[in-house]
Amino acid sequence: MSTMLRMKQVTQTYGDGGQTMSVLDNLDLTVDEGEFVAVLGPSGSGKSTFLSAAGALLTPTSGEIYIDGESLNNKDKRELTALRLQKIGFMFQSAQLLPYLKVEEQLLYVSRLAKLEPKEAKVRAAQLMQRLGIWDRRNHYPEKLSGGEKQRVAIARAWMNKPAILFADEPTASLDFERGREVVRMIADEVRSEGKAAVMVTHDERMLEWCSRVLHLENGALVEHKQI
Amino acid sequence: MFLALREMRHSKARYSLIMVIMLLVSFLVLFVTGLARGLAYANISAVENMPANYFALQDDAEHTFRRSQLSGTALSTAQSIAGTENAAALAVQTSTVTAEAADAKADITFFAVDMDGMLAPEVVQGSSLTNASQGGAVVDSKLTESGITVGSTITDQASGMSFKVQGVVEDSSYSHMPVVYITTADWQTMKSGNVPPGSDQQSAPYNVIALKASSAQAAEIAGKLDHLETITQKQAIKSIPGYAAEQNSLQMMIAFLFAIAAFVLAVFFYVITIQKTSQFGILKAMGTKMSYLAWSVVGQVLILSVASLAVSLLLTFGMNMGLPDSMPFQLEGSTILLTSVLFVGMSLLGALISVARVAKVDALEAIGRAGA
Repeated sequence: MSTMLRMKQVTQTYGDGGQTMSVLDNLDLTVDEGEFVAVLGPSGSGKSTFLSAAGALLTPTSGEIYIDGESLNNKDKRELTALRLQKIGFMFQSAQLLPYLKVEEQLLYVSRLAKLEPKEAKVRAAQLMQRLGIWDRRNHYPEKLSGGEKQRVAIARAWMNKPAILFADEPTASLDFERGREVVRMIADEVRSEGKAAVMVTHDERMLEWCSRVLHLENGALVEHKQI
Repeated sequence: MFLALREMRHSKARYSLIMVIMLLVSFLVLFVTGLARGLAYANISAVENMPANYFALQDDAEHTFRRSQLSGTALSTAQSIAGTENAAALAVQTSTVTAEAADAKADITFFAVDMDGMLAPEVVQGSSLTNASQGGAVVDSKLTESGITVGSTITDQASGMSFKVQGVVEDSSYSHMPVVYITTADWQTMKSGNVPPGSDQQSAPYNVIALKASSAQAAEIAGKLDHLETITQKQAIKSIPGYAAEQNSLQMMIAFLFAIAAFVLAVFFYVITIQKTSQFGILKAMGTKMSYLAWSVVGQVLILSVASLAVSLLLTFGMNMGLPDSMPFQLEGSTILLTSVLFVGMSLLGALISVARVAKVDALEAIGRAGA
């Protein structure tokens, strides 16, 4: 079983001079293939910083991060961009689909960036859309979709380039309980059928049913609570 | 271009509006350019169409033909250097002529030239003059609008001499006045009562020498003759009374239009780009390269400016056909090309501000944002 994400002694401090604040403090995390990890924490606990560091959007003050065995240290902006494209899938709050692309084009766009063969990409997009139940919506613009459908398109988009790991930033924030649960279940299903890994950052404790591990971000480090 | 084209497809109204504005601006640019060129041509076509690239005149004439006065020896010196067929004397005289038959009066400029030399007018109607013909004239086609045609007799108001119109030439204006070509012999007669003291009684002075020469030859001629300088055709045209003033104001308008075009486009795109800041953050987080996004913005501007330019070119040609003859309009291929390239170039310059803005967007902005 291979390790998809490994964070070693990651520290991120803000501020300068005497007034510094450690948002992440020697944080360690290992996510293996097939795992779906939930990271819980109240707002302001550093969830966004954690996700940005793990997702190669932010270079932490110190510490090492490996994605699919590849170190993020000593990579410049361009290389990090390429790595995000190939190895990382992102899901953002309120889906963040491009308003001017139809559902299918949302998926084909990322495959174009990754220079996937167009025919292959079309097949892959069709599979994902069918699995996620948005096949009938493939020629619709995002404005015509419901919140749940938008997030399902976001899931499909995130998995399109077969990334090693998916990072989800509060994927259920803009959804009601039922729809939120369904989206989380679908992420879990995809982790299983893709054989990859996912990390979800959330503040909603009701969404943890399908997660393989639940971690709490406390004082800049991740701790596992005993299941209640 | 994947994103650029799809975005335009989705927001048709927004991009159509920008295109209409660019269309109007580029139309105005082309149209005013055409009018400026038309006016310029209507002003100085007689000099512009001369097969000469240099003119020799008195050095204290400040490049103005009518202020210069040369004598026969200067011409023979010039001919000895540039070749007999490559140097010709030109005498210029503004005057007013009356046409008895047509009951018309017109301001004209007399050009007295050697009818065997390189300045001899090429008639499009009637017959050419020869050096032997006496009392004959070839007139610019503009005079035919006042009823003066081949066979008419025109009388010079100043000297009282009459000329019979033998032929008509086209595009021959000097200082917005139609040119009347006469022979040098008639010029002598016209000036005979008016020869300045001390000069050769046999030949009345002329104003300039038109040259078809290399720059070295032109310099040699200027060096050999005292109080004489050679200027290029461009310099000569610029010094024709009224030309520079007219063209400068029009060119300033054109320059402003270019600046406005660039500015309007820059502002529009900048506002659109600011609206899309979060989208750009998302795109970068997903792994879109900056170069891809830059091309997307530039591509949109390119498509918009080229498309609106194409439509405005059609409009300009259509407008040109509907224009009355009294509004001179001229657009040569080279002017169109230059204007188009400048317009697209300025548009792209305006787009650079947006590109810079996109470059500043941080992918980090994608995380932790609730708003769409």
